[in-house]
Amino acid sequence: MSRCWLALVEGPAHGADAAAPALTLDGRPAGTLAAWNRRAKPVRQALRVDERLIDPHGAAGWISLVLPPSGVRLAFDDLAVQQARRLVLLHPFPAAVSTLLRDDSHFEGAITVVRSAEDEQRLRDDPFARVFPARLLAVEAGILGAVSPPTGPTIERYGSGNPWPWDQFT
Amino acid sequence: MSEGRARDGVVGADAVGELAVGGQVPDFDLLDHAGNQRRLSQLVGGDPTVLHFYRGWWCPKEQAFFRRLLALQDDAEVAYSRILSVSVDSPEVNAAFRAGLGARWTFLSDPDRQVQKQLRLRETTDTLNDPYVPAVVVIGPDLRIHALYNGYWYWGRPTVDELVKNLRDLSRALRPDWEAPTP
Repeated sequence: MSRCWLALVEGPAHGADAAAPALTLDGRPAGTLAAWNRRAKPVRQALRVDERLIDPHGAAGWISLVLPPSGVRLAFDDLAVQQARRLVLLHPFPAAVSTLLRDDSHFEGAITVVRSAEDEQRLRDDPFARVFPARLLAVEAGILGAVSPPTGPTIERYGSGNPWPWDQFT
Repeated sequence: MSEGRARDGVVGADAVGELAVGGQVPDFDLLDHAGNQRRLSQLVGGDPTVLHFYRGWWCPKEQAFFRRLLALQDDAEVAYSRILSVSVDSPEVNAAFRAGLGARWTFLSDPDRQVQKQLRLRETTDTLNDPYVPAVVVIGPDLRIHALYNGYWYWGRPTVDELVKNLRDLSRALRPDWEAPTP
């Protein structure tokens, strides 16, 4: 099970293993994107993420951060979530992508990372943004890593406690 | 296909080029359809994998066979199994072909024909394209060849049912909890 947690927090991210300021695309502060490697949830809004997406030495990039409205949850096996995963495999793969989880059964968002201005335009067609609303943010260096494109065509998780596209059982 | 295997009604082939049932595919590096350098063992990971060498987008037989793989894709996406297709086409051509097919697996490019040479899979009868001999192998995480199909003649290629059987046999050997846990 992934032990890596991700959250967009206001103010400093206490105890984070990686963190970087986030800005809206028109340059306004949007908080701090932070990650923690630990068993216990570090802050209330934290969600589990593919640990490969986190790199304290990673370059700056843009993200599409998809989160459900407050109080809304959707089964990970929901057809809309399945189709979003298929579209991610079909389209040019971003620098990194991970679904976000709180428990084993529900889809609670996704984060997609790109690093070129051309790809930033593609973020506007994030398949996961068809499931829940997305925020497009610029994130400074210090948190965003890279996830190799999955071989395909697997859309299932390798253990329900792991985010997709983590691609092995161990 | 060897005479013995044909006589016994065994499907598939014993050997094509350097590929042989029971042998290992070399852990080669090639560019994927997005231009990333990829190593075979990393792409296979811990899953049974259909590794497919094909002539090119232009071949009607390949277009027909890809429709079989597309039918398999809907099973493979939920069955922890992978598909890889290899040709001498460039990453750009592979990317366009893949998108047109709607394939959601990785395509690999060998435009310099280095892996083709290593595997002795050049189709010598086509001096215009110098493509791969069409071949399909089903391999496990150790890259050992569980099944092999010589697709030079179209009927030598595996059906979806044959690939499902190969993937089932490999999965059974690979998954320690294949026998479902019950009370």
